[in-house]
Amino acid sequence: MELIVAGFFTLLAFGIGLYAVSVPQGGRVWWMLASAIVVLVIAGKLTSASWAASICLDLAELAAVALVWSHGTPEAIAAGRKYLYSIVPAIVCTTIALALIGTGANVPSASLQRLLVGLLVIGFALKLGLIPFYFWLPAVAASAPPMTTVLIVSVVDIASFGELVALREVSPWIFGEYAPVWLVIALLSMFGGALLALAQTELKRMLAFSTITDLGFLLIGLIVGGPAGMMGAWLGMLNHALSKVILFGAVGLAEARIGQTVTLDTRGLAARLPLAGAAFIIGALVFIGVPPGFGFVAYWRIYSAATQFGGFALIAALLAVAALDLLCYARAIHRTWLGSGNVLVTESPEWLAPGVLTALAVLAVSLGCCPNVLTGTGVSGLLAMVQ
Amino acid sequence: MVGPIFVPTGVLFAGALLEIALARILSRALKGWLAFLAAVIALTAVLAMMPGIIHGEVFTATLFDWDAGIPLTYHVDGLSILFMLMGTGMGSTILLYSVGYMEEEQEGITRFYVLMLLFIAGFVMLVCSANLLIAYIAWELIGLCSYFLVGFWYKEQAAADGSRKVLIITHLAGYGLLAAIMLLYVGTGTFLWMDPKVGAAFSGGVVLLMIVAAMAKSVMYPLHTWIPEAMNAPTPVSALLHSACYVKAGAYLIARMYSIGPWHATSGNLLLVIGCLTMLVGVVFAMAQTDLKRLLAFHTVSQLGYVVTGLALGTSLSVAAGLFYAASHALFKGTLFMCAGAVQRATGTRDMARLGGLSARMPVTTVIWLVAAAAIVGVPLTNGFVAKWLLFDSALSAGQEVVVVVAWAVSILTTFSFLKATVNVFYGVADHELRVREVHEVAPSMLAGMGITGALCVVFGFAPQLLMQPVIGPAVRSLGFEWQVQATWLGILTDSGTIGVTVGAAAGLVLAALFGVGAYHFVRAPVGQQPVAVFTGGENLPEGDTLGAADFAEMAEEAFAPVYSLNPDPLWFLVWREIREGSVSVGRFASAKVERWPVAVALGWAAAVFAGTWLL
Repeated sequence: MELIVAGFFTLLAFGIGLYAVSVPQGGRVWWMLASAIVVLVIAGKLTSASWAASICLDLAELAAVALVWSHGTPEAIAAGRKYLYSIVPAIVCTTIALALIGTGANVPSASLQRLLVGLLVIGFALKLGLIPFYFWLPAVAASAPPMTTVLIVSVVDIASFGELVALREVSPWIFGEYAPVWLVIALLSMFGGALLALAQTELKRMLAFSTITDLGFLLIGLIVGGPAGMMGAWLGMLNHALSKVILFGAVGLAEARIGQTVTLDTRGLAARLPLAGAAFIIGALVFIGVPPGFGFVAYWRIYSAATQFGGFALIAALLAVAALDLLCYARAIHRTWLGSGNVLVTESPEWLAPGVLTALAVLAVSLGCCPNVLTGTGVSGLLAMVQ
Repeated sequence: MVGPIFVPTGVLFAGALLEIALARILSRALKGWLAFLAAVIALTAVLAMMPGIIHGEVFTATLFDWDAGIPLTYHVDGLSILFMLMGTGMGSTILLYSVGYMEEEQEGITRFYVLMLLFIAGFVMLVCSANLLIAYIAWELIGLCSYFLVGFWYKEQAAADGSRKVLIITHLAGYGLLAAIMLLYVGTGTFLWMDPKVGAAFSGGVVLLMIVAAMAKSVMYPLHTWIPEAMNAPTPVSALLHSACYVKAGAYLIARMYSIGPWHATSGNLLLVIGCLTMLVGVVFAMAQTDLKRLLAFHTVSQLGYVVTGLALGTSLSVAAGLFYAASHALFKGTLFMCAGAVQRATGTRDMARLGGLSARMPVTTVIWLVAAAAIVGVPLTNGFVAKWLLFDSALSAGQEVVVVVAWAVSILTTFSFLKATVNVFYGVADHELRVREVHEVAPSMLAGMGITGALCVVFGFAPQLLMQPVIGPAVRSLGFEWQVQATWLGILTDSGTIGVTVGAAAGLVLAALFGVGAYHFVRAPVGQQPVAVFTGGENLPEGDTLGAADFAEMAEEAFAPVYSLNPDPLWFLVWREIREGSVSVGRFASAKVERWPVAVALGWAAAVFAGTWLL
């Protein structure tokens, strides 16, 4: 499983790199930090369930802070500071908790369990930007170049979530007995993220809030556990990583061509940037779980697990959030990309960035059409572990 | 029988892939012919399964696991075949029509044909799938195809807005189906609807959720308002969407519920009310339209009301009526849309206030239109008459006289509406611009496409048994009903009701025809003489003025004015506005309170988390 994730990250890193060649994201420092993040995350995945993995991921998070900071604008520095103030306590909380849990073989005493679960909830909520600990995420998305945000939400965050998945496997009591606490955080993130995304007028901020929503969904899969929940969370991680590269990439490309921030007042971009427009639309539909996109492969499992766990009430809640997601993305698609245009788009013969986005969009649909490629072979190990 | 079952979908998907692969090589027309060929092969493969289906066979096969433990299993029975025929048959004729229609389109031809083929493939997949999860994927695939096709001219605001509405209303309602599937899966551990465990878990709540999804797809009131906005699509899309591959998906789901589990009387009654309401609202809104395609769109709403009413009555005869109506509607509505597209292509407009006199300049189109219009109205010798006859008979047999009265009233209003459309478009006088414009018949492939479906309206009207015995019969039997319908020429039932009903209805029909002929001769102004005086209830009409079909329609519009307040769009808009304003309030609160003091908020929540873990 970790090999698949590492391979997936490598593929995404390659795509991000090609995109950054086409649409510059920063100077040499950016490339160094970005490379460091990718290397650390992949190293962390390859040395899974060990202290080395944890240290690699913590270092990747700190490198991500530096990456935001490296952009140099006052907004980016302020966002980097917010990010740092969140990441440092997050690392402290998770490190203490992981140190006390050890390999997961020993189940601590009840009072220690409570302390550890509290630390883990706060630590991971800060790392992932879950509501109500989300302060840094929209600020980073709005002020940093798109591929910087992508490296954070698609690589670093997802690697952190992967750490949580691994923890769920070795220490199921963290979720089993304390499910209500996690559930509150998950539902807050889902509903809060969806409503806050809908409140945004700037697309990158909207995408940041929808990241929070999606992580709430994945957390539900993790809380419920079982083959469907775990597999749903795991596939959801991959879908999140892939879709967010496409979505931020498309918006970034548009911003590079129009020379201004893309908001809901920007109209008709697809007429001038058809590939980016198509990629955004496909990415959005895949991300929110519309079949036959890759997202649905994760979502149906999460829905099924949620129905088993919370009956009609929980699936109704999840579908209500999915509906908010759809309203949000449909508005972005139709106000920003489709219809008649109102902005001047610089002509460019550049094909690399649109090509990367198109290839990733095709991949997202292909994985949705043939999920057995992933679920029938590579993930069978995960199922065996869970069972 | 693994092979033939998967051939229709396989060929359609392969056709779509070929369109992409050969996009740079093929001309516009060749792309059209390739798509047509794929659809015809798919239709042929469906027809090849017919002999077995007629003899009561059911074909089941699994191709591969789509996902871990989720097999792509097909279960093809009589109901599947009926809808497959609709999808591939109408798809073929519409794609033939598209060859001519799309030849002047400058961009997006490959996209168009790929989406059309996927649209048909998705529909075939839906009606064949034995796996509910795969069926849901197919359900959404056709939703996505229609979304992209309605937004085909995505640079135009109207098309973009229309497609947004399609996506939101139908996809959101589709969550009902998804929730129902999940509840069934969690309760039974299987997605295969033929499994008896699924039937046992088929509760009223599950049925209700599925009905919600079906309502949006089959444009049932109040989830129908997306369909008039979908008219900004190219006409072949409208034709396919209205006749077969989209609105019929909901009808299929409702029919399929009979074979999944026990039919709940409450659900049947609910559907009956919805069906009748939809019939009425659809036709009343249709009468107020001046855009030809919008008028047809509202008639789709109304006609689907008939289909659902038939299915909801829950007897063997009514289900047969509903299914025959669905097939007939596919033919006449597809034809009408293709005619509307031909008119628009020839004149550049579909505004009935501007159109007129086309019977002289487009005589073939006029004849085809008249046949299809007669069918939708229910004139004898057309399939529409047989469908209505069956429905009325089944409602009377089931003791649902109110349904008959409603359906009869709707038929009369439909007649008014189509008189208005026919007179305004094909007779009368066009506006000045159109009078001087060169208008002529459309391309032969377009005429062939609509001519075939128009001719079938008459064939199945004259000899409905050609459709009844081999297609509708197996479909009804596959839903667990005994096949009791003995239809003969013109749709006369030889085994249902009493001889009194049949003779009485036939006598009424003759009287009505005589009355119509008499009224026509009485009212029509003799050539070269003064018009016949018309009593208006008061003042005389202005000099030279007469009452025409449009006037009757306008009077009806005025009479039904209160019905227009039943438009549910303001309600949907209110819901959207409340959600949006709620989100803005949450956003304002987050930036003013939460994000302003992040440390304090984080510490507060951290304390709450620890308190939560301690309390557990």
